[in-house]
Amino acid sequence: MTSAYDWWIAIVVVGLLNYLSRLSFIAVFAKVQMPPLVARALRFVPAAMLMAIVVPAVVFSSPGTLAFSYTNPKLVAALAAAAVAWYTRNAVATMTLGMATLWIVQWVR
Amino acid sequence: MAPSLIGLLPFGLVCGVGAQSAGASPGEALGMSALIFSGAAQILACQLMAAKAPLTVTILTCFVIGLRFLMYSAAMAPHMKPLPERWRHAVAFLLTDQAFAAAVRRFRDSGDTRNGASYALGTGVLLWATWQVSCTVGYWVGNVIPAAWSLEFVVPLCFLALLVPALEDGPTRVAALAAGIAVLALDSLPMRLSLICAGLVGIAAGLIAEARRGAP
Repeated sequence: MTSAYDWWIAIVVVGLLNYLSRLSFIAVFAKVQMPPLVARALRFVPAAMLMAIVVPAVVFSSPGTLAFSYTNPKLVAALAAAAVAWYTRNAVATMTLGMATLWIVQWVR
Repeated sequence: MAPSLIGLLPFGLVCGVGAQSAGASPGEALGMSALIFSGAAQILACQLMAAKAPLTVTILTCFVIGLRFLMYSAAMAPHMKPLPERWRHAVAFLLTDQAFAAAVRRFRDSGDTRNGASYALGTGVLLWATWQVSCTVGYWVGNVIPAAWSLEFVVPLCFLALLVPALEDGPTRVAALAAGIAVLALDSLPMRLSLICAGLVGIAAGLIAEARRGAP
């Protein structure tokens, strides 16, 4: 078991670093004009970052092992969920159908 | 916004379970959800603490995956300008993926910055409160959930639900595709650096696609 100090040091420091990241531009660009290139680039932040988060969680069957086939339940479920998200734009429907697809594919295998 | 709130519940449950199985005390678990307030960072921190990783590694890794908040902050910044300083700080603390997505939609639809900002604040507070509840519930009762349910898969699903609506035109889709390829190509980088690098690659690709589309 790690000591209680370790947990709290991690919590406070990570919390502080996260807060500073979140605050960074909001605090800076309240006073300074944002360069046009930065403004244009920001439009792509959500698409790029969210994709970078989702893809590894879906295509690896185990760390380091790519699984790009229909036998990967997570991949099938993610594709089904993406279709639901595309047509309904409803987060609850997306997550529900995604989990349901995952269970079905896992059960069938 | 209600879908965001509901979507956070299973995500928080997973984070609470992660804290419990990593050996966090109830206070430490609550500290994570209250002060860090980021599911990705909390899950990662728990995994690393449970693996007895050096403290500096844990802190650094969580910082790196939180770097996307820099970008969210930059995107929110123009809309935060007319707000008093304390508001800006409050909104900043409450800035998560979900709050950001909701705020961006709101800014775009309403165009009224002051309304959009108070919406961001209200949304942020509600999300924060919901998050505390779901993490705490997960901590205390999460271990009765069978592993076969694969509940942790709600985490990527949560982000996927945010991703799809963001793919609004050609350049954003190019950005996403480039980021997806990059994150896999860079997977062997340490400390999840692949995440921030793939993000930068995606943004660059989007800018290029947009410039080419605009060319006569």
